Amino acid sequence: MTTRSALAVPALLLTMTVAAGLTACSSSNSEQLPPKPGASGDSYQQVIDAAPVAAAADIPAGSLMAKIRARGTLNVGGTDAAALFALKDPVSGKVTGFDAGLADMLAKYIIGRPSTNRVQVDVTTREVLLQNGTVDSVIATYTITQARAQKVGFAGPYYSSGDAILVKSTDHSITTAADLNGKSVCTETSSTAANDIKQFAPKATVVLFQTNAECQQAVEQGRTDAYVLDQALLLGDAARDKNVKVVGQPFTDEPYGIGVPLSSPDMKAFVNNWLKLIESDGEWAKLWKATIGTALSGDAPTPPAIGSAAGS
Amino acid sequence: MPTQVLGPLGHGLLTTVLMTALAFAGALLLGVLLAVCRISPVPPLRLAGAAYVTAFRNIPLLVLLVLFVFGLPEIGLLYSLFATVTLTMALYWAAFVCEVVRSGVRTVPRGQIEAARALGLTFTQCLRHVVVPQALRSMVQPLGNVFIGLALGTSLAAAVGVPELTGQAQLVTLKYDNPLTSFALTTAVYVAITLTSGLITGRIERKVAIKR
Repeated sequence: MTTRSALAVPALLLTMTVAAGLTACSSSNSEQLPPKPGASGDSYQQVIDAAPVAAAADIPAGSLMAKIRARGTLNVGGTDAAALFALKDPVSGKVTGFDAGLADMLAKYIIGRPSTNRVQVDVTTREVLLQNGTVDSVIATYTITQARAQKVGFAGPYYSSGDAILVKSTDHSITTAADLNGKSVCTETSSTAANDIKQFAPKATVVLFQTNAECQQAVEQGRTDAYVLDQALLLGDAARDKNVKVVGQPFTDEPYGIGVPLSSPDMKAFVNNWLKLIESDGEWAKLWKATIGTALSGDAPTPPAIGSAAGS
Repeated sequence: MPTQVLGPLGHGLLTTVLMTALAFAGALLLGVLLAVCRISPVPPLRLAGAAYVTAFRNIPLLVLLVLFVFGLPEIGLLYSLFATVTLTMALYWAAFVCEVVRSGVRTVPRGQIEAARALGLTFTQCLRHVVVPQALRSMVQPLGNVFIGLALGTSLAAAVGVPELTGQAQLVTLKYDNPLTSFALTTAVYVAITLTSGLITGRIERKVAIKR
């Protein structure tokens, strides 16, 4: 019986070696993780610090906003794995990006300080979490569609993106969506891109991975020929990794909205007014510069008109 | 909407069933070999078996899947997702099968083994004529549990891009924005798989049980 405990130690050591070895193999993942805090961290924080706070008169008693203010935190549905929009810094644990910044600014507008409680959401849970009141809003590159608008309210759109294609930098066979026919194409599990691929390239094989990092890795390793997702996210990947590139122009239109409970139309109007405010006073553009602007060159684009997307 | 989702979900179900069958067959084969190693009189074999079981049983399956799917190509081994995931499942569950087989063997009273050896049977003969026929009967229910665990575990393959039942449910959800329906259907199928295998193993167990 003593042999068993004597075996445990070498066995454990072997386990750790195997695990460490395999982890090391995929360590190229880590180089794309830090969201360039040096370039954007300071001004990002400055944008949040300068964000406006709503006047007391804007928050009627009994409204969802009043409830959030009394609670002291905004429950916001989001993710922490979307480069440029909401990405968790593995060291500080802080989530930064365009969506994360908007969440902080919205919380500050309602409560007076950027106090948010982030709830991880994905495509299967977003509508349900809004309907059952777990979250007050969803800010997560959430494309406005008419089907979704029957279940939740959409403020915005606050950003306009479109699906683009990411391939290995050595690949020259894919330049348009039609070239994806007959190829294997990956995308994130929670993205509407899966449907778009099927529509624009019906003969493509769609492979779903959980995260942006996994999709990018799959293209680099040659497991899939291309990766289709919103252009802004892909440009973020390509900016950090020279082994991949983004080809062609966006082939769909993805208006991002802020999801709010359908039962709180006052919240939708309130968020729309807030969006108009930060768009007109330049805060929106500053946040863009501090986040998406770190991967894209040029000035901040003109935000899409509030209510311009079908369903918003 | 419900009729349109049946096609993709059916394909997903086929993949799930195929993956479960292949992975379970692989796990059985490797698990029995490992168990033979672990009970063999040769110390290096025992050590190797114990090391294997410790290594694979103590890493979460999802972590193993991600390691194999994204780790193997880094060292130049790029296989299809289905093959990689099925192999990983077989390797992982083999550790559990090994322990089931080993504990099954332990249910055979030691006196019988000593008697067999005293009669001059070799290690192999002793296994074949005395130990295995009895041990197999006590393994039915535990192996059924491993099977259920494996069948449910295949849903993790969706996380690494295999369009099995759960993966297809996610795709269908993306298309029709109706997560409750597709996941309710999916849940019903998983429950059907596990209940059926539970019933079957229960039946077999009652038939072959040794009353001691």
